[in-house]
Amino acid sequence: MQPKVVTLNVNGRQHYVALMPNVTLLHALRDLGYTDVKSGCEKGDCGACAVLLNGAPVNSCLVLAWQADGAEIVTNVGLGTMDRPHVIQEAFADAGAAQCGYCTPGMVISAKALLDRCPHPTEAEIREAIAGNLCRCTGYGQIIEAVQLAAERMSEGSGE
Amino acid sequence: MKYTAKPLPKVELPELRQVGKPLRRVDALGKTTGTTVYSGDFTMPNMLHAKVFRSREPSARIKRLDVSRARALPGVVCVLTAADLPDARLVTDMPGQTGQKRRAGSDAPVLASDVVRFAGEPIALIAAETLAVAEQALDLVEIEYEPLPGVFDPLAALQPGAPVVHEPDNVVARWKIRKGDVKAGFAVADVVVENTFRVPFIDHAYIEPESGVAWMDGQDVINIRVCTQVVEHFRSIARAVGVPHNKIHIQGTLLGGGFGGKEDITVEIFLALLAKHTRRPVRLEYTREESILAHSKRHPFIITHRTGVKRNGRITAAEIKMVSDSGAYLYLSPYVLLYATIAASGPYRVDHLKVDSVSAATNNPFTSAFRGFGAAQAAVAYEQQMDEIAKVLGLDPLEVRCVNYLKTGDRNATGQEIKSAVWLEEAATRALEALGEKTPAPSDAVKIGQGFASYLQSYGRITWFHDTSRAWVGLELDGSVVIRCGVPDLGAGQINSLCQIAAEVLGVGLDDVTIYSTDSALTPLAGTTTATRQLYMSGNAVFHAAGAVRESLLERASKHFEEPPDGLDLAEGRVFVKDDPEQSLPLSELAAMCAAGGLPLANLYLFKAPFTSPLDPEGLQGDVFPDFTFGAHAVEVAVDTETGEITLLKSVGCHDVGRAINPAAVVGQIQGGSAQGLGYALMEEVIVEEGIIRTPSLAEYLIPTAMDLPVTQAIILESGSGVGPFGAKGIGEPSLTPAAPAVANAVADALGVRIPDLPLTPDKVLAALDRAAGREAVGAAACETDDDGSEA
Amino acid sequence: MLPEFNLLTPQTLAEALDMLAESAPDAVPLAGGTNLIVDLRDRRQCPAVLVNVAELAELRGIRQENGHVVMGGGTTIAEMLNDPLIAQHAPVLQDAARIFANPLVRHRATVAGNLVYGSPAANTPPPLLVLDAEVELASQAGVRRVPLDDFLVGVRETACRPAELLTAVRWPTPAQHSAAAFRKVGLRKSDAIAVLNVAVRVTQRADGVCEQTRIALGSVAPRVIRARAAEESLLGQPLTETAIAEAARLAAEATRCISDIRGSADYRRRVTEVLVRRLLTQVAGEVK
Repeated sequence: MQPKVVTLNVNGRQHYVALMPNVTLLHALRDLGYTDVKSGCEKGDCGACAVLLNGAPVNSCLVLAWQADGAEIVTNVGLGTMDRPHVIQEAFADAGAAQCGYCTPGMVISAKALLDRCPHPTEAEIREAIAGNLCRCTGYGQIIEAVQLAAERMSEGSGE
Repeated sequence: MKYTAKPLPKVELPELRQVGKPLRRVDALGKTTGTTVYSGDFTMPNMLHAKVFRSREPSARIKRLDVSRARALPGVVCVLTAADLPDARLVTDMPGQTGQKRRAGSDAPVLASDVVRFAGEPIALIAAETLAVAEQALDLVEIEYEPLPGVFDPLAALQPGAPVVHEPDNVVARWKIRKGDVKAGFAVADVVVENTFRVPFIDHAYIEPESGVAWMDGQDVINIRVCTQVVEHFRSIARAVGVPHNKIHIQGTLLGGGFGGKEDITVEIFLALLAKHTRRPVRLEYTREESILAHSKRHPFIITHRTGVKRNGRITAAEIKMVSDSGAYLYLSPYVLLYATIAASGPYRVDHLKVDSVSAATNNPFTSAFRGFGAAQAAVAYEQQMDEIAKVLGLDPLEVRCVNYLKTGDRNATGQEIKSAVWLEEAATRALEALGEKTPAPSDAVKIGQGFASYLQSYGRITWFHDTSRAWVGLELDGSVVIRCGVPDLGAGQINSLCQIAAEVLGVGLDDVTIYSTDSALTPLAGTTTATRQLYMSGNAVFHAAGAVRESLLERASKHFEEPPDGLDLAEGRVFVKDDPEQSLPLSELAAMCAAGGLPLANLYLFKAPFTSPLDPEGLQGDVFPDFTFGAHAVEVAVDTETGEITLLKSVGCHDVGRAINPAAVVGQIQGGSAQGLGYALMEEVIVEEGIIRTPSLAEYLIPTAMDLPVTQAIILESGSGVGPFGAKGIGEPSLTPAAPAVANAVADALGVRIPDLPLTPDKVLAALDRAAGREAVGAAACETDDDGSEA
Repeated sequence: MLPEFNLLTPQTLAEALDMLAESAPDAVPLAGGTNLIVDLRDRRQCPAVLVNVAELAELRGIRQENGHVVMGGGTTIAEMLNDPLIAQHAPVLQDAARIFANPLVRHRATVAGNLVYGSPAANTPPPLLVLDAEVELASQAGVRRVPLDDFLVGVRETACRPAELLTAVRWPTPAQHSAAAFRKVGLRKSDAIAVLNVAVRVTQRADGVCEQTRIALGSVAPRVIRARAAEESLLGQPLTETAIAEAARLAAEATRCISDIRGSADYRRRVTEVLVRRLLTQVAGEVK
């Protein structure tokens, strides 16, 4: 087994990194310092590791880093910072949607993917979009509120 | 049946500026922007990676253990077995370290030496340069087991002749309540109702698996950065590792969920041992499967209720038997059993009560704390029993409860007087009213059911533990506020509540308060984040510490303004004269004046819960807890009687929290705690067969997804009668306790027959309907199994 | 950590087939990885070589051709769920896609992966079976087509040969007067392995008489099966309540269930009857 230099474009930043083929995108990202991408189960059951891969929300634990060579990857920290949070991140904070916060980065990614294609989702559509993100703390109520709040604010043109 | 909310007693709660507002929590934005660092996110230079070699056998003697090939693998730096450790036992004393005398025997060893008692028991530790090498080394550990007879059922474990897990027998704990005269009570009953209920092993399933990093520094201190509910474990860790207490430093992180699963020591001792032996930083992270294997479970219970009642529903006598499965090691089993025993009869006046409870050791996964801590299991039984009593008597379920509800001034099962508000009927009627009329069934095959449960849940620890908490509050010279408090934050807003309280008392905004927490060396010890105690204990500590700072400030200000201190107030970062607010100073100026005058700007406060003495275990009569939370949960379900599938249509939780420090956080607790209860009722079970877990990952152990739960409507009641700051009670565990029995009652309402074992799976629904119809299930003989025995 | 393997990334289908042939039988194709990566992690599979076909354009695309709908094997479940041709001609596939695992998995999992994995609990085989689908298997030796019913053999066993790639699934464009439906029972409402799942399709004449029926049952046997006796019982008959009840009973008899942690054999068999009855009733009402 030999490593190869892979180009990972993460949150707009190019990383050239030598990786073995058996490294998942989850671990490659975390080793690059993107620890906002969380490990919860490593087999696609919990969604804590969700990232956008060329715009699609996926479990990064089920993608080999080599498979993401050259792809556009977005993680939660790429959407906003504490100084300039993304509308969705701010809405999650305001709605009390983050209790322990461990599922939150993956939740925000799924919410982003949803709002990108469906700016005014119904409650049912929100539930469906986050059905792959397990939360053990909130019962999902304030998370759904957060997505609705984000949708409202985005349509008011609060901007990113 | 239409229910109307019972009017609330009039309560005057003072209007506050910060407390009582649904402010954005101090930790919120860090979490939503992915800035917050969790225990698995840390790396150190020169760091090693650890793995734990675990038993595959549930009950066996280790005939041969050879780690030489593992040690010899290039890249492996250290392999430890029991032979390398001092007599290292995992002390399972009640965390909080009140000096309580340890129950003898059945403490888990750090690493198994001659015998393994559960599948997953740790046997060896490996530290290597990379995770891949550490994993390869696991495969090189050579081990031979001699299987020993095991026992996998607590009832079987109590039979004479059962394999003994720990000498002399498998009884690890017993409690008894003897109150009044049950014989006389049953003699005057019109009807006696008897039922048995069962609840299974449950996993905490926090999304963050256990993890941590440890390293030794230049003072030989072993620093451990770890997600834990208890920083005070540093003492037990020190003992297990063989160093003085002051050489273990726990740097606790914000947890990605705890729920009691990170209340016992998890990775800490492993990390400390490896860091000490290698003199290098070491990281350990459990996989999900390892987490499920390695950490505690909720105790399964078998609870039998025998209740004597009058025709009007009044309970004349209750006899309750409880058996819990302690698993392979003791951990907190005696205390979980105690809580269950005390809660066994529920929030009802039972003058003649006999409770006998026993916890049995088995070779199953070990059991310990889980949100509700025995009182949740007790509620699953007592609330179903109340509905069964109602059914037998032909009474409305609420009516039967109202005849028996405790009131303020009554005494509970241990004869402790309930001093705070008891708004049971107020909560139950509100929850039922919010549920509304039954949703029309969409088809003939679907039956709609509604059900509710009332409960009582203690908050604050057992008072004979002499619980204390400490907090330090200080005002900086620029008017910002610092809190130092050892409190671990599980995600429920523990640290935020303390900030909101300090902000209220010192008249600043929440943004002006910063808390430094969860450090066993650098922050005053605040005790465990368990037992729904932190708001009560550390909240009061912060309240008083901030209060002392406030007093000092107002005294100095009173000289400045020539006004008595009670003529002044603090708000918006200023001190001002109440009658003439133009006369004011920014806090920074006042702070400077105090500093110049050598006056205190900070205070360290030690808050004490009531200190009582242990009760006689043969009767358990006396005070046990500081106080109790009361409330109710109601649900509506749709049950497909042909497929057995249950759908939750509506869910309402109504709780008297005393005072909501942050209402949004309280809503979060009600929705989240009840979600765990709803999962408990419908889909969660760690299936254990002959000691082996058959639900090893989150694909088999199912917790509710966003498609499984309606939004729980949270109704917050505030009696102001709690012993926490501003009259607060606790909500962390109470929010979960009534949810599962509410579902069980709703399903029984839908079906007309009760399923007495959780979880209520589709299989069990159809079996219950068969029983009700008097049909026998089609025999297994009619169905072939596969020739190759393979699974679907 | 995953075991060691070599990962080859072909640029064309031909290259992929060459790679598979060169390393056969130790090479497996990797697309979405939603089964394979989990198996690798758990050491259930340890191939020496993975051939990454996730980006091959030749495996994507859904089109109509010669009275058939042809779907590339590399089509993800999410793509299938959103495709207008599928919506028009095979909405039953979207019923299955909608409750397939969860949205994150759907964006990676492929139809080919779901079929080749050979789980009797898989979601795509029942609707594809009732659509009379066949799979296209390509290798260096050429292309062969196999009816899906022959392709599925047993638990984790299909007719896919080493060095073969499932490049497409095709089925005759369903007639106007046919309707199909799918239903799955799981232990929760999302991301749940099927306790059982059922798909049915009926084609009726203008007078209501049944011309063709297909009933496919999942998780009730070592592979997804057709309930042939049940299907035949409906031919040439109107779909009355009695006829449907009899078909449902025969379908349940066709099952060879086992009991496992998700459900008992008895449960699966009983609910098979219920689901078949309900789905037949539903589609009978839908066919104009």
